[in-house]
Amino acid sequence: MNGYAGVSRYVPFVLRWLALGVVLLVIEVLIGVGAINEYVVPRPSAIFGALYRVVVEEHVMTYFLITLGEVLAAAAGLVLVGIPFGVFLARKRDYWSAWGNWVAGLAAAPVVLLYPLFLVVFGRSPLTIIMISFVTGVAPVILKTVEGISGTRKVLLDVGRSFNLTEWQSFWKIVIPSALPAMFLGLRLGLIYTMITVVAVEYLITLGGLGSLVGELAERYDLAATYAAVCFVVAVSVVFFLVVERLEHWLRLSA
Amino acid sequence: MTKPGADRMAGPSRVLVIRVVTIAVLLVLWELTARSGYLYQDVVPTLSAIAGGIFEIVSNPDFYGHLQVTLLEIALALAIGGFLGVVVGIVIGANPFVGQIFEPLIYYLGPTPKIIFFPLLIMWFGIGEASKVAMGTISTFFPVALSVAAGIRHIDPVLIRVGRSYRANALQMATKIYFPAMREPFINGIRLAFGVSVIGVLLAETKFARDGLGFMVTRLYQQFDMPAMYGLVIIIFAFAIAVNWLLGRFVHAGKP
Amino acid sequence: MLQTSGEFAMTNGEQDAVLSVRNVVKEFATAEGPLRAVDDVSFSVGKGEFVTVIGPSGCGKSTLFAMIGGLLHASSGEIRIGKEKITAPHRSISMVFQEESTFPWRTVIDNVAFPLEIAGVNKNERYDRAHVFIRMVGLGGFEKRYPGELSGGMRQRVSIARALASQPDLLLMDEPFAALDEQTRLLLGDKVLQIQQELNQTIVLITHNITEAVQLSDRIMVMSYRPGTLKREIKIDLPRPRSSEIVSSDEFGHYVATIWGDLREEASRGMQDAEERGAGGK
Repeated sequence: MNGYAGVSRYVPFVLRWLALGVVLLVIEVLIGVGAINEYVVPRPSAIFGALYRVVVEEHVMTYFLITLGEVLAAAAGLVLVGIPFGVFLARKRDYWSAWGNWVAGLAAAPVVLLYPLFLVVFGRSPLTIIMISFVTGVAPVILKTVEGISGTRKVLLDVGRSFNLTEWQSFWKIVIPSALPAMFLGLRLGLIYTMITVVAVEYLITLGGLGSLVGELAERYDLAATYAAVCFVVAVSVVFFLVVERLEHWLRLSA
Repeated sequence: MTKPGADRMAGPSRVLVIRVVTIAVLLVLWELTARSGYLYQDVVPTLSAIAGGIFEIVSNPDFYGHLQVTLLEIALALAIGGFLGVVVGIVIGANPFVGQIFEPLIYYLGPTPKIIFFPLLIMWFGIGEASKVAMGTISTFFPVALSVAAGIRHIDPVLIRVGRSYRANALQMATKIYFPAMREPFINGIRLAFGVSVIGVLLAETKFARDGLGFMVTRLYQQFDMPAMYGLVIIIFAFAIAVNWLLGRFVHAGKP
Repeated sequence: MLQTSGEFAMTNGEQDAVLSVRNVVKEFATAEGPLRAVDDVSFSVGKGEFVTVIGPSGCGKSTLFAMIGGLLHASSGEIRIGKEKITAPHRSISMVFQEESTFPWRTVIDNVAFPLEIAGVNKNERYDRAHVFIRMVGLGGFEKRYPGELSGGMRQRVSIARALASQPDLLLMDEPFAALDEQTRLLLGDKVLQIQQELNQTIVLITHNITEAVQLSDRIMVMSYRPGTLKREIKIDLPRPRSSEIVSSDEFGHYVATIWGDLREEASRGMQDAEERGAGGK
């Protein structure tokens, strides 16, 4: 981001939250005055109150853990299937030539639109969510793994050969460490698509987890709680994004 | 320094063989699963049933009505979201100070599951087409705003100074300096936006709607008309991929 | 006409040579027909000698480097280290490559201890031995740093220390200082001479830099442009121990002039060739 000369780092941060606060205040006033119908948009103060209620009474933790569990299950798939498959494609160029474009197509395709089919095949169960989120997230993992492995610098492989490393030793001591940064980047991208798909499908089929919570509250016409739940989900999603970003950065530096 | 006996390049015929065999194997596995009786009837319909379903959809006049509604919703979403995205993108891109304050908001809000806003949109707009257009608008807004902001930020500052030195007014600056520089990032943003707005609109239609392709899918599901549902989902999926691909070619054709 | 192997002095008799290269030829099959990169090269290197192979770009010296290092098979001819024929990378030969070759994900000490790790030496012992060589190249104190934190010259020193760590009979280097600036190059050259003294290390250096060759070597082999043959051998009679100060002496200038006389002809043939290829090819 462009630096703005002479302004301390924290000023934009403070101003940002100040601006948000002002907007919320204006909305509060407009509702109080009747300019905005409070049966459509609850007062921000009511939303804050509902936030407490949602967290404590609605057992938001349970919902959160369900979502987290589904995300982790899909993530396990990304690591246990996506990476080895990427390694396979990187080493067998024939198969990469044959399937590479298909994987790239999968990465760009709107897989989540197929959710009715997954629903029918896997039933109304967490498995549906895990499977479709896995499919959505696995393509970038595979692509980046192939990129990392086939991009190993030739001179490093030559160093290995000059010390008479076996193929196996060369793979684990040179190729994999060299490919780790790209693999972590792929995992970061995959995890984000996965998380988005998990919450979205939870909402669409109302099956436990944070996405489902929002839908349930909306059906009960509990306006303030619905808004609060939406804010909560957005907050969780942003935190997840930040954590994954940090994690990838840290792993890349220490790899 | 080549390894003694380096691998020779894969012949194109071997690649073709792998592809054909893969597709054949997948189709055979699908058909076997469908006929096995292992799953509840029609959960995995036979390939011929699915083909029949596709035909059924395409020959159903209702389909075209719903298609029209969906296309209209997508078009409106792109137009409105695109417009808002451009305006906001220009504002946060042109002014570094404003940009530093607000761009992170947009950047971090971008990768959230936007469908989560849909219940709120229903409250505001009802279950008619307007709420779907709103959903698509939100999806479109983020990639466009971020692309345009980045594009504006990367305009060579010399060009801006030249404009100012000739005392161009705001409108002239906009049309002669900013707009041309913005064209490519905007097109890239729209490409991304198209993908996500199609998803946003369709998913919203499957949840709460009175018409549109997504609504048609849900209705077929509730009627348990699986072959037709499979057929429709495949048609939608193929259509979304095709348009994405076309847009990609269109973008590259325009490049020097 | 090609100069045959018999004209080159084999130091200390061939039997005692650390490295003996005999009638080595390398031909590559290309789209335009067979390309002879190296044509009937022979020489030998005795214990503790510093021999440099110098030639213009494209003369096949890197190909020769790869063959001595066992990364490439010769089309004909034979290369021996001691009494053993080289058919694959030999444990008594260590290579230092021209490009950046440190492992960026390992610390300096893990880089240097790498060959010992492969040989199965336990951690404490290999760290102790690696320390010796790290200090020898002047990087004492940098053991726990990562290559990314070091300058280009320091990274090449790590590569050299790593090559020395397996205590090879022959140290083989391919333009190790090519990417460095002149001053760093001279200072690192000093370092290498110091190390050679201390270990009585046999070294073969490939380079295109005349100053470097004269500064460091006991003997210089001048290669012709493709197909690469040994055009001439020059014995450097400058006193040892040497330091970089020697570059200002008269004899130094004399050697450089002689070598340049040989090289100039080959180098301009190379340039002509490249121009013709550029004009006709595209």
